[in-house]
Amino acid sequence: MENQTDLIIIGGGPAGLAAACSASSCGLEVAVVDEQSSPGGQLFRNIETPLGQSLLDDGDRQRGLELVRNFRAAKIKYYPDTVVWGVEPNRVSCTDKDGARLLHGACVVIAPGAMERPVPFPGWTLPGVITAGGADILLRSGGTLTRESSDPVVLAGNGPLLLLVACHLLDNGVNIAAWLDTGCWPKRFAGGAFMSWSFLDAGYMSKGKAMAKKILGGKIPFVTGVKQIRAAGDTRVERVVYEKGGKRHEIDAACLLRHEGVIPRTHILRSMGALHRWDKVQRYWYPVTDDFGATSIDGIYLAGDANYVHGGDASIIKGTLAGIDVARKIGVITKGEAAFRSEKHLKQLRRIRIARSFLRYMFAPHPDIFGVPDETIVCRCESVTAKDIRKIAKEGNRDVNEVKLHTRCGMGPCQGRMCGTPLAEIVAAAQSTTPDKVGNLHIRQPFRPVSLENYCRVYTEEPADT
Amino acid sequence: MKNGLQPTVTLTVDDKEVTVPTGISVAAAVLGHLHLGCTCVHPVDKTPRAPYCLMGVCFECMMEVNGEENVQTCLVSVEDGMVVKRQLKVPEAK
Ligand code: FES
Repeated sequence: MENQTDLIIIGGGPAGLAAACSASSCGLEVAVVDEQSSPGGQLFRNIETPLGQSLLDDGDRQRGLELVRNFRAAKIKYYPDTVVWGVEPNRVSCTDKDGARLLHGACVVIAPGAMERPVPFPGWTLPGVITAGGADILLRSGGTLTRESSDPVVLAGNGPLLLLVACHLLDNGVNIAAWLDTGCWPKRFAGGAFMSWSFLDAGYMSKGKAMAKKILGGKIPFVTGVKQIRAAGDTRVERVVYEKGGKRHEIDAACLLRHEGVIPRTHILRSMGALHRWDKVQRYWYPVTDDFGATSIDGIYLAGDANYVHGGDASIIKGTLAGIDVARKIGVITKGEAAFRSEKHLKQLRRIRIARSFLRYMFAPHPDIFGVPDETIVCRCESVTAKDIRKIAKEGNRDVNEVKLHTRCGMGPCQGRMCGTPLAEIVAAAQSTTPDKVGNLHIRQPFRPVSLENYCRVYTEEPADT
Repeated sequence: MKNGLQPTVTLTVDDKEVTVPTGISVAAAVLGHLHLGCTCVHPVDKTPRAPYCLMGVCFECMMEVNGEENVQTCLVSVEDGMVVKRQLKVPEAK
């Protein structure tokens, strides 16, 4: 059957592409399934077009182009515009324009990347409020955030991505009316203590410095210690209201970008029951893997930021390592050969990990950001409010899955992707404990919506062939 | 923006024609190029909603594409001649 291959890779971003290239260069037959229509993922989105290249800095553009070129040149089967909704060891179920498809492979590398930490606040469902990453995607699609370039845009939150997006906005002549910082200053100082390690990673640091300089030069009004952000407006955002030093402030905004850092996308692995660990500084769950990305499930690997968020260059290394280890596991290269091929990459990865340890503290999310007012919609899909959740949690339901049953929080089409994080934070706060003590939403397959027809096609008869 | 060589496609959104760069998503075309603001009315609380994440996480970008309803448009690339409709009808009470 032609849908049989050695390795199936889920995700066409830096990690997925690197894994594909390294596995294929070891002699494996590889198939890559990608939600997007061209390889690149979020970081190198549309990199094969002038538009996609225009917002990348020189280093990233070079790296991205080289990666995609190698990928295209190798004999790798590529399935673009394909949504994966089921993964088991040895097989992957997905849907594309022509219907459902079942792929068989000896190993699977999962590389879905990271997503922005979803943080609810009153008014966050209003049109005009988007994530910083979403805003960047609009810019990289040749679009603008507001109709007129003079319309005020407000940035709020904390995290390196916000810095990058702010630079892109300045380059595009956007009127940034304010930057409302919600970061955790004591942790930032702790981050400073680790900063001495960052000399190991001079390239990354100088990039950060250049960005900071641009922001300062852009003269953006920078407000620190901001709390209780809300978006106000009738049918779209018109004002941003916030508290600072116990006082209420208001600012006009045609668009509000909220960003509170980046977390791994764990849906696929959680649906398979893989082992995860809680990071108490960054406040997220991440899958447990070895240096090569092998998870607690035999034959299932994880690569890139979905493993632990280290950034794009680290993702390429993680992908490369996963590809090599799969080749060793399947037996097309020897243990010695694998060690030889991976040595350099392992060293690089360790270096990056140490060098960036300060970022973990520097951009730690402030736990207070989840202390949202009762009326806040937490589950966007089912319109469940913080009040609904707190009430059920205080009645003695300790586990988020019990709270889900009572409130419907997490039962909508996004299957808890957006509300899972705040749900755990709010339930934990209501019981004066930490989110790792209140369980994690159970994710079931299919973990993305699929029509009954396509679902049955995969499990009963022959899926679409091409 | 320096996109002189960028090829484009033309699609219709709510009976309005719009020309946008190839390779971008339908959600990005409607939000970033047409600035239509709200793209759907929420089936549960009936408030106006718009794409929030633009990368397949939030499911707030549901629109009708070529006759098919509830398409997650941030994961669908624009195509020449595509017909997109915003889902603005307030759903009937169940
Ligand atoms: S905009 Fe979030 S899923 Fe499409």
